[in-house]
Amino acid sequence: MNLIFTLNGTLTSLPDVPSHATLLSILRDRLGFLGTKEGCGVGECGACTVLLDGEPVNSCLTAAWKAAGREVLTIEGLAPADGLHPVQEAFIESGAIQCGFCTPGMILSAYALLKRTARPDVEEIKTALAGNLCRCTGYKQIVDAVQAAAAKMDRNHDNDVSGG
Amino acid sequence: MTTTYLAARNLEEALAGLDRGAKVLAGGTDLMVHVRRARLYGAGLPEHFVDVTGIPDLNRIDLDTDKPFLGAAVTFRRLETDEAVARQCPLLAQAAATVGSLQIRTLATVGGNVANASPAADGLTALTALGARAAIASVNGVRHLSLAELITAPNTTRLLPGELIVGFELDRPPEGSVQRFHKIGRRRAVVIARMNLALSMDREMTDPRLVLGACFPSPRRLTEVERLLASETPGPNVWKEAGKMAAEQFVNACGWRASAPYKVPAVANLVFRTLESTWAELGVTE
Repeated sequence: MNLIFTLNGTLTSLPDVPSHATLLSILRDRLGFLGTKEGCGVGECGACTVLLDGEPVNSCLTAAWKAAGREVLTIEGLAPADGLHPVQEAFIESGAIQCGFCTPGMILSAYALLKRTARPDVEEIKTALAGNLCRCTGYKQIVDAVQAAAAKMDRNHDNDVSGG
Repeated sequence: MTTTYLAARNLEEALAGLDRGAKVLAGGTDLMVHVRRARLYGAGLPEHFVDVTGIPDLNRIDLDTDKPFLGAAVTFRRLETDEAVARQCPLLAQAAATVGSLQIRTLATVGGNVANASPAADGLTALTALGARAAIASVNGVRHLSLAELITAPNTTRLLPGELIVGFELDRPPEGSVQRFHKIGRRRAVVIARMNLALSMDREMTDPRLVLGACFPSPRRLTEVERLLASETPGPNVWKEAGKMAAEQFVNACGWRASAPYKVPAVANLVFRTLESTWAELGVTE
């Protein structure tokens, strides 16, 4: 039986997925989506964060078959074809990227937060990102970036509403 | 090698799968760590899984009744955000919010927390305070065990092969109870408890519950302290005595181990402060 799920908006079908495979392993090793990183491999660092039906999960702890019939969003699926997502832009502009290893997971956690809370306060941002460890950039820039992204997304939303 | 993954749609399907020797998979946040370790060290990998998270019975939160019930596959994220849980079992919502990270809470289930039976499990401390009795099903029927009966040692339970925790029957706390969950760890988030505590009490001290976790082989109701609270006139002297008794119980159970010089005063103060602040919240003027 094939594992069928929606990956970044595209229906994906994968044969021969063993029961004990992780979502992380099929994303990276079978499908070549290398934006999702493996850090600790045991759910501590959040580098492997992806969104499963819009909710952040550690893909290293998620059995691959849990994705069956559901939507998975990886960092590759966030940006439009012709540019970057506002959260990605904000991370660059705020200096919230250094080595970049934690960034895909960090951005997806931030994106999920901003989807449910348009203008989060600092505590809300810290809670939402507590499961994403960064060892080099520093968290101040990252929190700044999420606030800047919130402002950008809010502005874009206003523009959409006004037909702009 | 042929492996199987059964995403069970109902209890019968799950129990039949477990009866054939498959392993229970709930959130997977503990199990997949074991699978990874097995892979790294060349140990045998589990081949047959029954994913129980899609079973409606196991996802039931039914708290506004005389027989409150909490499904085993309810995630910590749901406990943290559910309106009925916040209203009826606030200590459970508070405990859930301290578990792991958002990513972990989105996956991890309360039943998995119990079945894994870590001495530091936050969900276990909360459920113990709520008097949880596990409903355990197999193809042979259903049996009920209190958490103290179910968990025999750290990471060890009486669950038999083929058995599945369906959910938990909870006590209904007395009207007007205030509940608290506190956790002490090395940092504020994504941390395993060095100590956790759940308290439920009302102004009349009808049925006070005080549970201490990560200090015993599994979280434990401090029944002597509860009796003290119910029998003495509430106030700072009693809170202090309660803290002292709790610390003594910890030392009696675990001996004077390396962490004791830190943990003994921490237990005493945690109990004292939680009683003091909860009593204040009950709005009792002396």
